[in-house]
Amino acid sequence: MPDSRAAAARDSVTQSGRRLPAVLRLMPDSKHNRTGPPSDRAPTDLHKERENLLQSFSRGTRLTEEVVNEHERLVSRVAELERDNAVLRAKVEADDAIRELLGKIERLEQEKQELLSHVQEVEANSSQFSERFQQVECEFSNLANLFVASNQLHASLSPRGVMRRIKEVLAQLVGAEAYVIYFANQEGTELVPIAAEGVSGDALVNQPIRTSRIGQVHQSGDASIDEEGDPSRGTLGNPPAILPLSVDDRVIGVIAIFSTLAQKNRFTTLDYELFTLLRRQAAAALVSASLFTAAERRIPGLEAFMDLSV
Amino acid sequence: MAEYSCLIVEDSPMMRQLLVFALARVKNLRVTEADDGVDGLRKLASARYDIIVTDINMPIMDGLKLVKRVRSDPFHKDTPIVIITTEGSQEDRQRALQLGANAYITKPIQAPQVIATVKELLKIT
Repeated sequence: MPDSRAAAARDSVTQSGRRLPAVLRLMPDSKHNRTGPPSDRAPTDLHKERENLLQSFSRGTRLTEEVVNEHERLVSRVAELERDNAVLRAKVEADDAIRELLGKIERLEQEKQELLSHVQEVEANSSQFSERFQQVECEFSNLANLFVASNQLHASLSPRGVMRRIKEVLAQLVGAEAYVIYFANQEGTELVPIAAEGVSGDALVNQPIRTSRIGQVHQSGDASIDEEGDPSRGTLGNPPAILPLSVDDRVIGVIAIFSTLAQKNRFTTLDYELFTLLRRQAAAALVSASLFTAAERRIPGLEAFMDLSV
Repeated sequence: MAEYSCLIVEDSPMMRQLLVFALARVKNLRVTEADDGVDGLRKLASARYDIIVTDINMPIMDGLKLVKRVRSDPFHKDTPIVIITTEGSQEDRQRALQLGANAYITKPIQAPQVIATVKELLKIT
């Protein structure tokens, strides 16, 4: 053993021969570390020193216990904070998720609004299209009626056949219930009834051109149509429609509609078109058929058509 | 797509032409014409029709008699019948419906109404 270590071992032995705890050997202020000879110290101090030593030891123990307790408390606190931290982190994550969901909801709501707006737009277009489709269907129906009426008027070359078709147009397409077709006499003074429907025989009288309302239509060449009233309630004295019949801009007769079917309570756009058709084509068809019959239904020779080319 | 057949019974050539024009707007509908009730029955005996459109006032056999005959024919007893006439009264309507007609249209006819009635009876959308 080296000399310094041997000295230290010697110093750690008390006067009574007891060996001191190693901890006292490390205390710098301890009297045991004094290097003076044992004979210099008072024997009574030993007890006091021991007491001090024990007190110091006890304080150290308490301090250690406190340190240990404090350590445990801090460990517990750290654990607690870590738990709180975990909770907060979870909450933050949850908040993020909620924020994300809210954002998603907002986007979806916006998308929904756009879709709704688009649907409304499509519905409006569809409604417009449907309305337009109905208008076109109605137009088609009117054109079909006009085509059929025109086609039928010229489908016959006998005056009787033409007259039957004129009456069909009036009854089936216009819905006329009581009407008379007049032609002007050669003198141009009276309108003579040549065909009628729904009018009693005694009411079928000649109409003076100058003084009667029907005659005035013949004179002026302008149709007289009651646009506001109910034509089904018309009377012989107050016909709801009087139409001049023209051939080559010459008025040769008149159609007077005295009343329509009960369900026909107003004249429609189609009726006005049919009236125009009758005014321009009925008389022409009748005159053509009459001339063809007068010519004994002979087709004119080729020479009749030679000068028609332009 | 299913094809349907329609028999039009009407004495007026003009009305027949109008009905043919109107019903040409119904897709997959084949139309046959008959001049009166007797001609209609003859055509019904030789072929099957999915719907009949008939006038009431006709010579030889009127539309109401035709309806009665059709309803007693086992082959066509369930065939839908549309009556077209100038008569607009409730009584005539009731009479036609009691005899077995399925629908009633008054003159002057409107093509969209004829089309809608035929489509409804044939259950065409």
